[in-house]
Amino acid sequence: MSVDRDESQQRLKAAVHFTVGRLCQKSGEDHRREFSRQVIAAMAETAFRQSDIFAKDLEAFSRHAKRSTVSTEDVKLLARRSTALSIYIQNKSEELNQEQRDLKKKNTGKRKIRDTEEESRE
Amino acid sequence: MAEREPEVGFKKETVSKLLSSFFKEEKTKLSGDAALLMAEMLRVFVQEAAVRSQKQAETEDCDQVDIEHFEKILPQLLLDF
Repeated sequence: MSVDRDESQQRLKAAVHFTVGRLCQKSGEDHRREFSRQVIAAMAETAFRQSDIFAKDLEAFSRHAKRSTVSTEDVKLLARRSTALSIYIQNKSEELNQEQRDLKKKNTGKRKIRDTEEESRE
Repeated sequence: MAEREPEVGFKKETVSKLLSSFFKEEKTKLSGDAALLMAEMLRVFVQEAAVRSQKQAETEDCDQVDIEHFEKILPQLLLDF
């Protein structure tokens, strides 16, 4: 059983490493200073370990609020240490809500058109 | 129509699996929106690490970012997050 867990952890680490590599590549291009492979590996490892800390904090926050599902409110709380980060995350959250509202409106619109078409047919 | 290049970042599914793997209790779950926000958070974390390391390398007049540069910025990075 623990072998499965190790395997999935390895896969997750590899996924993290991949994205970290791409982010470093982009940053290297933007700022014209590239990263050694050792640095990318160290960053990936750090991101992986930081995710553990984040996860434990998120779990504690949601539990404190007597919820079993971690919500965006918990994430906002996680970003409290830096004002800039906090504002950034709040804005992203607003963007997400707006996208969802827009999507709902679009679907409701489609449904209304379909309903009026059916009405006129009856 | 020119395709807009998708921004590099963590995938929602990866983030979801990653964070879930660290939860202590089985019943703890992550909402979809929370996963998306956390993907942003992790992206910012890595970008900060990258940019700060690059600035450190620049300060030391090095062409490439090496492990020493990363190690120097790491403590403050962790404190800031």
